[in-house]
Amino acid sequence: MNEALGRVVATERKPNTPHEFHFWTAIDSPVGIGTIVRVDGAQPVDGHIPHIYGIVVEGFSYTDLQSPLHDVLGHDGSPSGASFAATERAEIRLYTAAVLRQIPEEPLQPVPMGEVFLAEEEDVQVALRMDGYLREGGNTGIPVGVYRAGGTDAVIYLDADFLLGPEAAHLNITGVSGLATKTSAVEWLLASLFSHFPEEKGSIAAVAFNVKGPDLCYLDKPGRVEETDEKLYEKMGVEPKPFTQVEYFAPYTAKGFSLNTFRNNEALLDNVRPLTWGLREVLQFAEVLLNKDDVDAKADALIDFIKENVLDKEFSDPVLSKKHRVQSFADLDAWFRDVLSGMERKDGESWRTHHVATIRKVRNRLSNISTRCAGLVTDTGTVSDLPFGSFADRAVYVVDVANLEEDAQDLIFARIVSKLREHLERRDLGVKHLVVFVDELNKYAPGDGADTYVRKMLLDIAERGRYLGLVLFSAQQFRSQVHRRVVGNSGTSLFGRMDADELSTPGYTVLSPATKTKLATLEKGQLMIRHPHFTQPIFVRFPRPAVMQGREGAEKYPQASEVSLDVAVLRALRPLDPSITLPWIQEITALYTDDEVIKARNATLLARPENVKAYFASQFRKIVSAQSPVRPMAASIKSAPDDDPYGF
Amino acid sequence: MQLINAGPDQASRTALRLLMQGLPGISEIKTAVEIDPPGTLDQPQLRSAQIVEGSVMRARKIPGISRDMKSGFGAFLDGAQKVRLVAQHRGVPLIFGVTSAVVRVRINRRLTTWGHQKPKVEYKLYLPLRYLPPIGELAIGETKWPVVDTTRADANGDYPSAHPQVLLDRAIRAIDQQRELLEDQIAESWCSRNEAPLFVDGGISRSAVVASSRCAVGVIKSHRTLYVEDDALRIVLNLGVNERSSVFKVSPRARNSVMSWYLRQRDADGHDPLWGLVRVEMSECDNPAERADEISRWVLAETTPLALPDGRWDKMSYGVRDCEEFLRAIS
Repeated sequence: MNEALGRVVATERKPNTPHEFHFWTAIDSPVGIGTIVRVDGAQPVDGHIPHIYGIVVEGFSYTDLQSPLHDVLGHDGSPSGASFAATERAEIRLYTAAVLRQIPEEPLQPVPMGEVFLAEEEDVQVALRMDGYLREGGNTGIPVGVYRAGGTDAVIYLDADFLLGPEAAHLNITGVSGLATKTSAVEWLLASLFSHFPEEKGSIAAVAFNVKGPDLCYLDKPGRVEETDEKLYEKMGVEPKPFTQVEYFAPYTAKGFSLNTFRNNEALLDNVRPLTWGLREVLQFAEVLLNKDDVDAKADALIDFIKENVLDKEFSDPVLSKKHRVQSFADLDAWFRDVLSGMERKDGESWRTHHVATIRKVRNRLSNISTRCAGLVTDTGTVSDLPFGSFADRAVYVVDVANLEEDAQDLIFARIVSKLREHLERRDLGVKHLVVFVDELNKYAPGDGADTYVRKMLLDIAERGRYLGLVLFSAQQFRSQVHRRVVGNSGTSLFGRMDADELSTPGYTVLSPATKTKLATLEKGQLMIRHPHFTQPIFVRFPRPAVMQGREGAEKYPQASEVSLDVAVLRALRPLDPSITLPWIQEITALYTDDEVIKARNATLLARPENVKAYFASQFRKIVSAQSPVRPMAASIKSAPDDDPYGF
Repeated sequence: MQLINAGPDQASRTALRLLMQGLPGISEIKTAVEIDPPGTLDQPQLRSAQIVEGSVMRARKIPGISRDMKSGFGAFLDGAQKVRLVAQHRGVPLIFGVTSAVVRVRINRRLTTWGHQKPKVEYKLYLPLRYLPPIGELAIGETKWPVVDTTRADANGDYPSAHPQVLLDRAIRAIDQQRELLEDQIAESWCSRNEAPLFVDGGISRSAVVASSRCAVGVIKSHRTLYVEDDALRIVLNLGVNERSSVFKVSPRARNSVMSWYLRQRDADGHDPLWGLVRVEMSECDNPAERADEISRWVLAETTPLALPDGRWDKMSYGVRDCEEFLRAIS
């Protein structure tokens, strides 16, 4: 057992309570804000010596000086004179600790006088009630970091039942930008989760939305792990390796040639899939892209009519010039044009109860979508999507929306989350638990502003997701600006270094001034954790994730510049068949339009056939080689008789 | 004599319980329980002393005074006493006394309790047994405190009168002596180990061992007896800051002979004549002038940090204040 490092003290002015106590230590003791200590009571209660566990939340230091003026006088007003004094004044280190746990738990009494010890690893487990979920045969602990104080290194575990449900769920992380803490913490925690999530609880995967920068673009590439981090990995039983199963999804650029992602370097394309949707997929989420002003009741009725009666059906009507089968934005536009022409011909103001103005408005708005979400929404109706139904255990699916317009980001988020939810409800996603990581929650679920579709979805996940196995890992710079119900439903909260302004908001009043100061000065790799089992926030260190960081990845695998269509096709198909060459592509595509080439490429990528060359070539319509018409020999005019008297 | 209504502490309550058990019929004194004794019961007086540095008393500027001069003291010794009037028996005061002493050593500029000799703390009952009925056993469990009879006959065979104030004075004097005894014991223990120079709060002449040791230096703050007369008195009272008097020999009756001098630690301008004035005692030596200069520099180096908020801060060193605070905390 360690030596006592302090003694509990209490005065009438500063008494101890069941939730707080005070103790003093030697000047050079290793106690600091966030240190966990154990008090051994001196008198037994009900036959048991009480043990009280607490975490230091405030510290005081003072001397026997009654007035600062006495020190000034004592040194004749010269600060440097203090160093000549033969004796230093008696000084105290007095700490206030918040009680984490009392054993026995009943009767709950004020903390008694006693000796104070630095908590050892076993003490930390008891203090944080981790002993309840780290027991043999029912271990649901997920290492989140290492608590360090004095000579104690103790792994801090989150309870999987309270991180991924069903008891509680969701995780929220806050911290200033630029320190890479938020993304790094989530990457590390996913690695830990994949290593320690109990097998008997089923499979687990993650979908991460990369909303800015290249941070999540190299999860399958090894990063630099320093020796100190290796020790942390070893201590927490996680291998310092990148994720083994990662798939990336990104829409095309507006031109449609190459993928709109930081990860479009040719060397990385083998696990990057296009994300493209057609009319059917988009119309299901039309309200994401159409605001309230756009979609009034009349417009909504027309959109419903199209979804119910026109989409993917043979549609005929006396007003139309022909039968329509609408499968793409191009088909829809043709259908609208036919409807409007027919109405003009009949000089009618309404068709099937829909006013011409409503029809024009809906046409305008829907047609606009393919422009606003160019690269994602295809006119041709080609769909390339996440592998809903065949999600793999311990796989990460990254959807890169960093370079997209806000509308497109919203559409992608809304549709993917809805699909995930549908599949999880039907239990056919492929995995039992799914973590969805969303950064910039300030933007997607703000505390104020319009009630958007995306915010409603996030609220829905936060409030009901845990019953489905759909868990939200969210991050933002300013927690105070996120909708209260989203952060309030996060069972676990992580805090990196915080901005002083943010710390002054009402949400942080429960923290002591010293804890706030520590939060404002946290180093990289340090976090403060709140978890349902912990009665007070705990500070931990976590290792740098073993994946390549965004900046390093961007330097090693620079983003490919916009290239010609031939080169873009080559880059897209070569991962499927390395024997494909640029001359071959150029030969095959020479006679076709860009749209046709893109369509062929997309179809090939979607089908991923055995024989890539043959499949790609088969996508083009036959074109008979144009033969140059042979110029018929002109019949010679009769030649003039030799004896023509008028000849020359 | 000052009576302080500080309320009984745990030791006083135990003393009262012991008395109630052994002496039925006593009355608890609920107010004005702590007696703050004067420094001494002696009357102020002037005495002549033999000058050993030169032939006449002179003011001497101490050489080598600078801001960064070092102190040679390695430790501080002080004692403390608490006198509590806890009860009375038909007008006879019953006194409980706590005496204590400690050496606080300086390690890396911080003071800590000397490890070779634990602080001494003694609890005793000071009772005028001559004026009380026979007392039963004063013990509760393992708590058994000694009783000191304050009505023993003096050297002339006279007994004190039953005047409560006389009995109170007798008790205070007995407690005073007990405290001095503890101080001497701990000082002797220090000197026997030949440790670094010890700053003793008060005189060193009571113990022969201490009075003859180079390890102990006594610094006296109270001046009920001034060892100068006539012109010498004026010279001492007009000492400037960082000046000392000539060294003289103090040879009190029933005590040991030591060398001594007056030292002005702080500028007395605007204050009473004794402001910042201390008397230093050291063992006899062959080179009193050099030794007095050296020790004076040490004593002056101990004037920072200030001993405030103690009211005697003009004469008290911070190390002595630390001893007092320590003893206040443990007794």
